[in-house]
Amino acid sequence: MTKYFRDLLLAAILSITSLQALALDSQNLPDVDEGIVSISTVDPFKRVGYTVGDVIEREVTLTIKAPYKLVETSLPIVGYEKRYKGKVIGIELKEIQHSKVEHKDYATHQLKLAYQVFTNSVVAKNAALGPEYLQLVNTKNSKQLVKYRVPSLDIAVSPIAIFGQVKVENNMSTFLEPLLLKNDQEKTRLKLAAGALVLSLLALLYIFGKHAWLPRMGGNFAKTYRAIKKLPHNDEGLKQAVAAVHHAFNQTAKVSVFNGNVDEFLASNPNFLHIKNEISQFFGLSRQVYFEPSAVHSVGSNPTLWLLKFTKQCRDCERGLIPTTNRAGV
Amino acid sequence: MSDVQLADWRNHALTLESEVNKVVVGQQTPIRLITTSIFARGHVLLEGDVGVGKTTLLRAFTRGIGGGYQRIEGTIDLMPNDLVYHTYLGEDGKPHVSPGPLLMSGENLSVFFFNEINRARPQVHSLLLRVMAERSLSAFNTEHYFPHMIVFADRNQVEKEETFEIPSAARDRFMMEIPIVVPNDDAIMEALVFDTKFHNVDALVDTVKPDVLQFDELNAFSSVIQNSIEASDTLKRYALNLWKATKAPLDYGVKVSGVDMNRLVLSGASPRGMSMMLRAARVNAWLNNRNAVLPDDIHAVFHSTIAHRLVFSPVYEMRRTEIAREMLSGIVNAVAAP
Repeated sequence: MTKYFRDLLLAAILSITSLQALALDSQNLPDVDEGIVSISTVDPFKRVGYTVGDVIEREVTLTIKAPYKLVETSLPIVGYEKRYKGKVIGIELKEIQHSKVEHKDYATHQLKLAYQVFTNSVVAKNAALGPEYLQLVNTKNSKQLVKYRVPSLDIAVSPIAIFGQVKVENNMSTFLEPLLLKNDQEKTRLKLAAGALVLSLLALLYIFGKHAWLPRMGGNFAKTYRAIKKLPHNDEGLKQAVAAVHHAFNQTAKVSVFNGNVDEFLASNPNFLHIKNEISQFFGLSRQVYFEPSAVHSVGSNPTLWLLKFTKQCRDCERGLIPTTNRAGV
Repeated sequence: MSDVQLADWRNHALTLESEVNKVVVGQQTPIRLITTSIFARGHVLLEGDVGVGKTTLLRAFTRGIGGGYQRIEGTIDLMPNDLVYHTYLGEDGKPHVSPGPLLMSGENLSVFFFNEINRARPQVHSLLLRVMAERSLSAFNTEHYFPHMIVFADRNQVEKEETFEIPSAARDRFMMEIPIVVPNDDAIMEALVFDTKFHNVDALVDTVKPDVLQFDELNAFSSVIQNSIEASDTLKRYALNLWKATKAPLDYGVKVSGVDMNRLVLSGASPRGMSMMLRAARVNAWLNNRNAVLPDDIHAVFHSTIAHRLVFSPVYEMRRTEIAREMLSGIVNAVAAP
């Protein structure tokens, strides 16, 4: 019961003192003893170049040790016009957010302050956020009110437009980076395009290069495919192409492959089972080209083109891929 | 001869094959090779163990070919004149001379079967060589001709006692040496043992349709085949490379396991052997309804026409069959066409 009355009495005292505090000018109060309040701030990196309308945010964290408590009515008032030497400085508090966490021996107050610039000038001029004066009351001695000064943050306000001749170099500041257009999207596109270009160049280098270096890419049929693409589209070119494909088969099988031992070749190279029919067609073409001109092959009217596609199929099989179907005469 | 006639003869040849395949089961490859040699007009040496069906096979073919069929058994005391005539005392008490197996059928002799040829003496081999090469014989002051004769001989490679190895010159006269082995198929093996139709060989051979071919037209038709079936330049080069490889297999990278290849081959295939190979390959192409020889046709007859002609160092002669098979397979694998 005693504790209840004591708290009630303290609340009444604080109410009265806060009303009195409104009447008091905080700047005239004595400073709080050193070590009672500790402060940390999160200030904007940009200190210069503000123009009318800019909003500047600042975060202040105060830790106040008992028995002192913050008089919350002394917090900065939104919209209050601050003056310096009787002249409105043109920087107003636009918004304040206050949160506190109380502990047994101390309390932490977090203030998020948003100031807005309402001044302009034809030349750059100094300005400041704050200072703000906060009142603290000693809960053990309700008549003892003290102040704590939240230090100001110096900034510079710039004109919206430049009048007259200005030497830019003299007005450059290390605190203000040049205004840049956002180009993130363009950068991403450029990187993608550069990547595609590099890959394309690698592919071209591989295709037209003499040697292959990727795994399963330098096979006999891959070389043959590149070689027969360069052959002329006539009878002599066709003969050379057929011979080249025979050579590739022989090298792949490590023995001479004929129509009679194709099944053995397929058994030892099952990747080629996908094109069993096409291999049979190839040996039919080879028979007509090299051994029996009167024989009829089944590869259509353009055997050179068919052979090129067949070699590509063989190359795919060699690489462990499933080749696309090669229709006769296409 | 028109393509129709070529096709007609092909049908006859395939019919003969089919007939023989009915009585000698599981021997499709030897039967195809013998058919090939009949149309290529080449003599055949059969090699195989005892009782594998060599004689039955030849009797079945003889029945299908038609013409005269004579047979003689090779024995150590067989003399050359036993092939030509034999003498006996007749009922009148006077000596008589009768024609021997070679002369008995006269010019109609189509098949002369020499059973176990390696049991006969070299003198007998010499006579046979002449008959095989020239298809003629001088006897009784007369020149006898056997224009339609094909010699089939067999030899038993298992027994070596009291045998005379056929010299390389004699072997070279045979177009083919065909191995006859017991089929691996269990069903066929079971049939050979339990099916009673295989127990009586005479009755079995009698089931073959007789005179499927006209034996006295085979020579002429053989020439037609040889002239009709073409060989391209690529194939000629391929055959030439095969020939060179039989002489110097190491030049083509051919190796045989456990053999010093530098010492192995004393003599490769002969020109006669290669020409016989190509004759047989042409027939094989014809049997497969082709107008030109392919490498596959050569492969079909390569072993049977070449293996017995190779002359190896004496140290390797005991393993001749095995080494020749591996070496020739290596050559086929190593030589490319085109």
